[in-house]
Amino acid sequence: MNNPDEVIEGLDAADYLADDGLAMAVFLALRLGRPLLLEGEPGVGKTAAAKALARALDTPFIRLQCYEGLTAGEALYEWNYQRQLLHIRLAEARGVSVDDADLFTTDFLQERPILKAVRHAGPTPPVLLIDEIDRADDEFEALLFEFLGEASVTVPELGTFAATRPPIVVLTSNRSRDLHDALRRRCLYHWIEFPAPDRAASIVRRAVPGATAPLIRDATEFIGRVRGLDLDKAPGLAESIDWVSALAALGVTELAAADVWRTIGAIAKTPDDRVAVAAALPPPPTR
Amino acid sequence: MRGTDRAAFAVAFTARLRRAGLQAGITETDDLVRALAVSPPTSRTALYWTARIALVRRHGDLAVFERVFATVFNDTPPLPLSRSAVPPRRRDDGLHVAVPGTGDEGAAAGGGLPWATLPPAVAADDPDLPGEGLDLPDLRPSDLAALADRPFEELDQAQTEALGTALRAALTSWPQRRSRRHRADPAGHRVALRPTIARARRTGWEAITVVRERPVPRPRRVVMLCDVSESMRSQAAACLQLMRAFTTVADAEVFAFATRLTRLTVPLRHTSAREAIEQASDAVDDRFGGTRIAANIAALLASHHGNTVRGGVVIIASDGWDSDPPEAMTAVMTRLRRRAYRILWLNPRAGAAGFAPRVGGMAAALPFCDDLLPAATFTDLTAATHHLRTLTR
Repeated sequence: MNNPDEVIEGLDAADYLADDGLAMAVFLALRLGRPLLLEGEPGVGKTAAAKALARALDTPFIRLQCYEGLTAGEALYEWNYQRQLLHIRLAEARGVSVDDADLFTTDFLQERPILKAVRHAGPTPPVLLIDEIDRADDEFEALLFEFLGEASVTVPELGTFAATRPPIVVLTSNRSRDLHDALRRRCLYHWIEFPAPDRAASIVRRAVPGATAPLIRDATEFIGRVRGLDLDKAPGLAESIDWVSALAALGVTELAAADVWRTIGAIAKTPDDRVAVAAALPPPPTR
Repeated sequence: MRGTDRAAFAVAFTARLRRAGLQAGITETDDLVRALAVSPPTSRTALYWTARIALVRRHGDLAVFERVFATVFNDTPPLPLSRSAVPPRRRDDGLHVAVPGTGDEGAAAGGGLPWATLPPAVAADDPDLPGEGLDLPDLRPSDLAALADRPFEELDQAQTEALGTALRAALTSWPQRRSRRHRADPAGHRVALRPTIARARRTGWEAITVVRERPVPRPRRVVMLCDVSESMRSQAAACLQLMRAFTTVADAEVFAFATRLTRLTVPLRHTSAREAIEQASDAVDDRFGGTRIAANIAALLASHHGNTVRGGVVIIASDGWDSDPPEAMTAVMTRLRRRAYRILWLNPRAGAAGFAPRVGGMAAALPFCDDLLPAATFTDLTAATHHLRTLTR
């Protein structure tokens, strides 16, 4: 991928329609070898972008889901203690002495996503997705700095693993918490905007090939209107795709109020929102 | 003492005496309450004697009693209290600016004329007035304590700042939650495998010392919304100080609102208190357009800061005068209630006698609030921050 347009084409081939901003962000991240921090409201396609990038580059996709209290043991590496103990008992039974060098070898090292990405030995670097980094805590952010800065992981007992080909790192965040400046400094940043209705329509068309054009047009337009309402959880692009898939599965070809009613659970995710969306519907025809 | 809660007065006064070293307990307090009931104090002397007889049981305690009584009652106007007996409050509105006098003004107001006029706005040369040179603040903690009980509108900027600093220092405890991160602790329930194995290296790989760990408590996030509209004018400055205390001490998101929402977390984090407050005041430019509480809370929840409320303590400082209909308030508070851990409402009028939350917005919001606290003085604000401590489940 030599320029942003090629990124758009590549992602397009992987069924992801990127806009110019995202294409530029991905291009620069690839070219500069920097991690890419993607932010945007839920369901706007942050995770999907990383997946599509892996497909477009035809490389393995490694995912690390963040949560509070995530430690080196779950993100970087862990020693296989059970095997170590077993090894010790075996050595005892055989009357062989055991020292550190026997126990702390790569045989006993369990790779977790980040170390896996660093030690990946393929022709192309893998795509590592660190998903919802805002759900992790400050300690985990600090843990990431070495990896994000140098693409290396240090295991005290063994030494430092440096990646031969630095992995392509994508971080996503929903902004439920402000990330530390030190983390932001190490990343390129892109805020994914919610796409305009016609763009949303083409994305949905790509995601749900079975749906008819009028259905997609009406549905995205309706979603656009619903997003203007005062909702607890405004439907995102992911909801639009779910909803159109649901409608297509029901064999709906043109949007009618009754069909919206039947599938309202795909776009309204709280009881209050259900009421609000229902109020936005045209009144049902009297029979 | 009409209209005074005798029990509250007696308890507070006894508590103060006890802090000063006088040995008085429940019995003495009870005696004072009964004594006040049977002999309602008509003058300061009467009150002095009633209290002294009821409370002091040892000669050695007399000195303490005298001292405390003097501190408490010296500044109060003579009894019986009536509106006319209270001296007019000093006005700090910038209208009466003292200009250096020429020295020939008459000593008496009115210049010896047989009628009374306003006191002269021209000050005589006063050696006590702060002149040039460095003017060092000479504030003792007791001065601050006295200031803290004054309503916000009577405080000038310097006093507000001093009290804000004190408030920040007092902000030590915080509602906490249990996090999913663990820390080594002998009293913990979970075995920390990694350090245990690391220790076992020294003992021939036999895990003799078991390292345990327990969850680390984390402070909850505080989200504070402060009403800066015209009706909250004098309170807003103090609330800014409270918000600054929150932003500098812990994880907090603070917003000001009148007709629209302004995020003040970043400006208020500034190292210099004065600059922080100035920047924050500059950031707010919708003071004079009325108040839309419900619309602003809705805007907060809809914005990408809406998730910051989850599991946090929400503090709303407002008098509850809302131009939005109460139904809007109910709707938005329902939503806020579902996301927040606790909701506190600070109302500057709540401390006043005879206060009832009858204002539409306030009445609508009240069923969703965990507490409605007064916020008319810095003492109230400090009490509110202490109240945060009790919020841990």
